[in-house]
Amino acid sequence: MWILRLNMSDLSYRLEEVPAKYQHLGGRGLTSTIVHDEVPPLCHPLGPNNKLVFAPGIVTGTPAPTSARVSVGAKSPLTGGIKESNAGSSWAQHVANMQIKAIVVEGQAKGYHLAHLTWDAASGKPKVEFMPANEYAGKDLYEVFPKLYAKFGDKVSIAGTGNAGEFGYGNSGIVFNDMAGRPSRYSGRGGMGAVMASRGLKFIIADPKGAPGVVIKDKALFDEGRKKLIDALRTHDITKPKGGLNTYGTAVLINIMNEAGGLPTRNFASGRFEGAAKIAGEAIFEGNKKRLGKELYNHACSPGCIIQCSNTWHKADGSEHVSCIEYESDWSLGANCGIDDLDDIGELVRLCNAYGLDTIEAGTTLAVAMEAGIIKFGDGKGAINLMHEMGKGTPLGRILGGGTAFAGKAFGLTRVPTVKGQSMPAYEPRAVKGIGITYATSTMGADHTSGYTIAPEILGVSGKVDPLSPEGKAALSRAFQATTAFIDSTGHCLFIAFAILDIASGFEGMMEECNGVLGTNWKSEDAAKLGAEILKKERAFNEAAGIGKEADRMPEFMKYEPLPPHNVVWDLPDSALDSVYGEL
Amino acid sequence: MADIVVDVWLYGALAKYGGDAAGPAHANLKVILPEGSTMSDLLERIGVPTEERGITFISGNLSAMPGLQPDLGHVLKDGDRVGIFDPRSMWPFQYRHGAAMIPEMSRAINEAEDLGLHHAYKEP
Repeated sequence: MWILRLNMSDLSYRLEEVPAKYQHLGGRGLTSTIVHDEVPPLCHPLGPNNKLVFAPGIVTGTPAPTSARVSVGAKSPLTGGIKESNAGSSWAQHVANMQIKAIVVEGQAKGYHLAHLTWDAASGKPKVEFMPANEYAGKDLYEVFPKLYAKFGDKVSIAGTGNAGEFGYGNSGIVFNDMAGRPSRYSGRGGMGAVMASRGLKFIIADPKGAPGVVIKDKALFDEGRKKLIDALRTHDITKPKGGLNTYGTAVLINIMNEAGGLPTRNFASGRFEGAAKIAGEAIFEGNKKRLGKELYNHACSPGCIIQCSNTWHKADGSEHVSCIEYESDWSLGANCGIDDLDDIGELVRLCNAYGLDTIEAGTTLAVAMEAGIIKFGDGKGAINLMHEMGKGTPLGRILGGGTAFAGKAFGLTRVPTVKGQSMPAYEPRAVKGIGITYATSTMGADHTSGYTIAPEILGVSGKVDPLSPEGKAALSRAFQATTAFIDSTGHCLFIAFAILDIASGFEGMMEECNGVLGTNWKSEDAAKLGAEILKKERAFNEAAGIGKEADRMPEFMKYEPLPPHNVVWDLPDSALDSVYGEL
Repeated sequence: MADIVVDVWLYGALAKYGGDAAGPAHANLKVILPEGSTMSDLLERIGVPTEERGITFISGNLSAMPGLQPDLGHVLKDGDRVGIFDPRSMWPFQYRHGAAMIPEMSRAINEAEDLGLHHAYKEP
């Protein structure tokens, strides 16, 4: 196994044997450790001393189900702290199958280049060739991807950055291909696209031809674990074929959160949107059925996924418009902007994919612009125009591209829903206090994927503390964040959590898969401990970067603006927030 | 005895019970019931078998989960909004921990061994 270092300053590369201390790490555990060990916490995120790290998960590249995740890490231009943002793509498997545990991008090149990564059978090692890539700069990714496939072959996979990254936006993701070759899978959050572009690296093209595959130390144990996890995913109501996620996609949560009064609406002014049912997962399913004349179930974002939650929205004439309208995108560009038209939302998602923007941050920024009166809430066509301004880099577009917190300051607003500079996703913390604790304290800034409920044993962590008390919620959030950091390291999609929480053998299976690959002897209870070690490194980096417990706070407006329909404010004491990492 | 009007939202596959109000993805209907009517009375009126419903809300308060329905005797008020989902819907614990519940649901969750951590109250 290798650590591959790309030195962009002199366009050279180096393969290093994986040091012993990194051998049991993967995904988020590895990106966060390398960033912690090698990136000066006070460096400028877009300057020469930041590093961009890609790491497939521990079981990525093996036949483990739903496991084609890659983590991307660096110091974030959006939050100023450490960032890990992961995505599902065949690219993750291709890199893992070349026995590369991590790619570390260092230095800065003049102009844009791409790295062509292949397997060199003669030497039995991966090989990199750098090529000029200026011709792809400033272009729509839907236009560029087919050119890359034409040049390098349709079996390759692509990681890259779009216009948003080139402009250095705090809102800029790293794009990966989906299974149809669309530029639609994103490590969206935290401005990783700008870190990539500021290295002078536009794309990493991975060609898996001849790659030997991932070494599995104990094949029998791995196979046993894999079977248990597959059985869990195939039987659970949410993850099974034609189950909740395969039918309605993640956007099934729109109507749920709306009924709960926790769907942030019109820049977090209300918890209920009158147009929710028109944009929900059920409406996407039925809308496609009407336009296509048949039921359309969702597809996999990456090879080997059983859950298959990615939808495709179709135009009135039945032709494809965009994939995929996730819950968070549907909410941020829909309800949070007061937009109830799925065709407008679909176009906004497509433009995020085309320009290299994170859909969550884009929608929350548009809503702040609406609050400021730049356009009116509900103005879908106006929102599309503003998205083009971001993609073209006009002066207004650059203000919006800076992200929600940056735009909020530019417009002189107080209702700006961010923590550590990153905007909140689609669950109103005044209505659902538990997720608010995770938003406030996560090392990533406000993040809905940093605290999943994964194992029922977690209830033990609160001991005699009432889990509904502030202290109990804090203890649960701490345990959720730790186990989530572990899953983000395995290479599995977080959505396996739905099945393994309810089916204990599925959780065991996941651990056995990891033990099979690594030759470790981890028990189920080790997941939280291993995850806590990752969180400690992330926290240490943030503290050294000047982001301590004072940054673990909700935006002030949430403490004094009651949220309809429940008319509640954020009222958890700061001591509860401080205990999350204080007692880690 | 006076009547009450309840604003009912049926989602996904349950939309078929919406009668004239049934749309493809949801149904929204106003149901007039005698004062003192319960959730059970409402379900009977609109013809939704209680075992076909999953997550349920009464005026923004969680009242039922798949396999856990402590709301059947809950007395509805005039103007209540009732949202009923088909069992394929979901609401993961991390996104509902601390959300509002009807008192009957709060009690049921507190008495449950798993404190409501799971997705459903039946064998998965």
